[in-house]
Amino acid sequence: MNDRGRRVLLHVALAAAALVFIFPFYFMVIGAFQENPTNDPSSLFPIGGWTTRNFSDINSRVPLGTALLNSAIFTIGVLLGTLTFGLLAGYASARLRFRGRSVVFVAMLLVQMIPFQLLMVPLYVLLTRTYGLGDTHIGIILPFLVNTTAVFIFRQFFLGLPESIFESARLDGASELRTLWSIALPLVRPAFVTVILVTFIGPWNEFLWPFLITKDVTMQPLAVALANYITNVSQTASNPNGAILAGACVLAFPVVLLFCLFQRYFTSTDVGSGVKG
Amino acid sequence: MKKRTAITAMVGATALLLAACGNGGGGGSEETANTTTGPITVWFSNNEQELAWGKSVTEQWNKDHADQKVTAQEIPAGASSEEAITAAITAGTAPCLVYNISAAAAPQWERQGGLIDLKTFSDGEDYLTKRSGDLLNGYKGQDGGLFQVPWKSNPVMVMYNKDLFKKAGIDPEKPDMDTFDKFIAASQKIVSSGAAKAAIWPSPTSEFFQPWFDFYPVYIAQTGGTNFVKDGKATFNDDNGKAVWEFFHTLYADGVSPKEKSNDDAMGTGAAAMQMAGPWAIASYKGKIDYGFMPVPTKDGKTADETYTFADSKNISMFTSCKANGTAWEFLKYTTSEENDGAFLEATGQMPIRPGLEKAYPEYFKANPDYVAFASQASRTVDVPNVANSVEMWQDFRNKYSASVIFGTTPIPDGLAAAEKSVNDLISQ
Amino acid sequence: MSTSTTSQRPPDDTFTEPQRSRSLKERLLGKQPLGLVFSAPYVVFLAVVFAYPFGLAIWISFHDYIFTAPNVSVPHPFVGLQNYVTALTDPAVLRSFLNTLIFLVINVPITVVLSIVLAAALNTGIRWASAFRVAFYVPYVTASVSLIGVWLLLFSQGGLINSILGPLAPDPSWLINSKLAMPSIAIYVAWKQLGFYILLYLAALQAIPKELYEAASIDGSGTLGKFWNVTVPGVRSATVLVLILAIITGANLFTEPYLLTNGGGPDGASATPVLLIYQKALQQTNPDVASAIGVVLVIAVGILSALANRVGGGSDDE
Repeated sequence: MNDRGRRVLLHVALAAAALVFIFPFYFMVIGAFQENPTNDPSSLFPIGGWTTRNFSDINSRVPLGTALLNSAIFTIGVLLGTLTFGLLAGYASARLRFRGRSVVFVAMLLVQMIPFQLLMVPLYVLLTRTYGLGDTHIGIILPFLVNTTAVFIFRQFFLGLPESIFESARLDGASELRTLWSIALPLVRPAFVTVILVTFIGPWNEFLWPFLITKDVTMQPLAVALANYITNVSQTASNPNGAILAGACVLAFPVVLLFCLFQRYFTSTDVGSGVKG
Repeated sequence: MKKRTAITAMVGATALLLAACGNGGGGGSEETANTTTGPITVWFSNNEQELAWGKSVTEQWNKDHADQKVTAQEIPAGASSEEAITAAITAGTAPCLVYNISAAAAPQWERQGGLIDLKTFSDGEDYLTKRSGDLLNGYKGQDGGLFQVPWKSNPVMVMYNKDLFKKAGIDPEKPDMDTFDKFIAASQKIVSSGAAKAAIWPSPTSEFFQPWFDFYPVYIAQTGGTNFVKDGKATFNDDNGKAVWEFFHTLYADGVSPKEKSNDDAMGTGAAAMQMAGPWAIASYKGKIDYGFMPVPTKDGKTADETYTFADSKNISMFTSCKANGTAWEFLKYTTSEENDGAFLEATGQMPIRPGLEKAYPEYFKANPDYVAFASQASRTVDVPNVANSVEMWQDFRNKYSASVIFGTTPIPDGLAAAEKSVNDLISQ
Repeated sequence: MSTSTTSQRPPDDTFTEPQRSRSLKERLLGKQPLGLVFSAPYVVFLAVVFAYPFGLAIWISFHDYIFTAPNVSVPHPFVGLQNYVTALTDPAVLRSFLNTLIFLVINVPITVVLSIVLAAALNTGIRWASAFRVAFYVPYVTASVSLIGVWLLLFSQGGLINSILGPLAPDPSWLINSKLAMPSIAIYVAWKQLGFYILLYLAALQAIPKELYEAASIDGSGTLGKFWNVTVPGVRSATVLVLILAIITGANLFTEPYLLTNGGGPDGASATPVLLIYQKALQQTNPDVASAIGVVLVIAVGILSALANRVGGGSDDE
């Protein structure tokens, strides 16, 4: 009985904590569809005043479609880069013996220690001036092209495979590329879901870098366009609070949806082992 | 081994791509550059009416110049347009023309090599002198370079909501608030009567340009037109500056000016009864609220025709990253012609920086009496000082002001002294 | 740091296989030189995006440097430590480092304690565990820009939180109160990042052998006793990782002070070094001083991380 009581208590406590975490999202969604979202506690459970005006309002000042497309290009570019180059690097550092393998590994660890913001300014000058990549998709993507966390995750997965399959493949005379493609890859398929989820969050949510490198509104991803809207334009909207919340919804929705769909694959073990190296 | 080749090729292609992109940029000499024509990009501020004017004037131009198409854009994201422009200059992605240049930021862009001296156009100096007359002198750069075309000003006055004044028991036609004491008393009345949450709601945030819409207009009025910096020294650490700081400190301390930024347009929603505004505000608030304007208050009161204020002018500059200077120059002249200045005035209500404004557009001022006060006020304005390190100087000033005036954490005399020292240090650098 | 749970061979960095006859190529490039090709894109990426800019930032910090338009050349004389002196004698810079410290003092304990407790609770095999997990992870996966829009409305003067608190609401309100602005950010970040740390702890918890809990039960330990004597030491290496990641996050704060407190307000009470780097480099065109602040920041993060590693790890690894 005591034990049962304790379990009930545990559920209640966890549910309360979960509620605190979810509440701002509830507030966001409700407010986004309200004619005049207020801060009064009674307005938390509105019965009327529903509207989609907020979305058309924000769409009239921020090209939502273009911005979403830019976010998608940015994210997909990073995913492609990570899934090819990151995969190859992860595989090499886990399974291939070559000179400099430990150097690559140490570099991976060091990179995570340097704050990106310090590199940002020189990188900005380098990419915009030397390579002329300001206001281009490549310029937005490049600093995020390979997600180091993803390289770690791939590395851990490949390390987890038994050596015997590789030995037999080599005995059969398969090339390294063939071994990777038709033997190792199918075995680490779960790693892809984890890597995609971990990698997706970065570019989709990134604000500072694309904000710096894009001056052309038609190149800006949604996070930047929305931040611009919040700081500059929202004040003159007919319902600024509603418009801000609507924009927040548009930005949050795809990633939350993706996450909820795939969360059961997103097991803690993968990420845990991945990040630790 | 076909696949191995494919990978190698991929890596090679990436390297080639990077190398190819590295060869961008480069340009011809100045003389030839100034006659080059072609498509250009132009940035306008995000003020709705200004943007509308910009788009319409661009459209007209494009009708007649198919091979020199102008693309009009809003200045991109950023807390202020200045940082967006600074970054764009560095990157070489600045547009050809920006119609929103503050005199405070131009010197630093000049130092960066971001701006084109319009004297290099054969008719440059003549044209600017013809359009702006003596007013041009205030906008000359180091060594007399012409890096800004004086364009338009927004002389700052106090805008008030007549309905809220009525509710508070203040005569909306004759508010009688020209001294600090009367202004404070009326403000308290507005809040205590429940007419509005705030009497006046200057943005309490710390962006470097915020003093232009609280401290600076009142200081200019109080001193009868003294610039922030004179002869390379800060002017404000005196009785006048102190009186102005104390005036605002009282507004914050009494709670009639909130210390938190408004999430929406406080004037439009009726949360604030007054705001410092230029003529741009008329177009924005027409039909939304019943407004009136009065001159900025001073310690002992001044009549309207002897009150000076802040000009809040914005100018036009051409950028060195422009690839078609010839087109940019022609477009610049086209948009600042007497006709298009008039169209701008018509569309936005902001005052073109041209001598004899009232006489140049008599019909407009007859049809729009709201603006007459501004046109008259436009002749008694002071702008920001045209000195290097200007942005940093205003930022330091704002930080000290914020601590002393808004949050009251530093005594006012100490804050003033610290601000003066820091401004003087920056000027002498 | 190894709390790995997947059964795996330790990385084999030392080439201990019986030495057969090794060709020159093999001795120079290793047994499988294809690894070089596979790693090359990533290595080039690291060099371009990390190594080169880092070197340039250090170089800029020792020179008098301004950004110029392309094709404009100005001299960049060497000035020794002058930029560092300018940076470190600026009260605003010192304040920003202090703010980061305030952030860490509040954020790190909240993060570590809450994430370990919640992970342990989720790990007890309770019902709806996955629903709870989603709730905790969702703030982590959502963009700061959208969440900040919501928090601004919740925590403003007349916001929901203050309406609920009524007379208990702080004056001045949260985000404009010089004593509460940084703590508000610290709590916001703890809320946002907690899901990720819970994830890390959940992984570490899988690695604790069930026998340890059974042994503790036999010894008569209660739930608390087991948590304290088995769980906490069992996830120690994860704790070190969480500490280091939280420190790095704290040192990199930008979006929050930029948007949530309007550029580090009030009066710089929530300004962070990265925000100042941004302001100095881009608003005030002083990239040299900005780089100096950045280098100091990297050194500080390095020292703090090493300390965290020292305190949390090593000493008694039997």
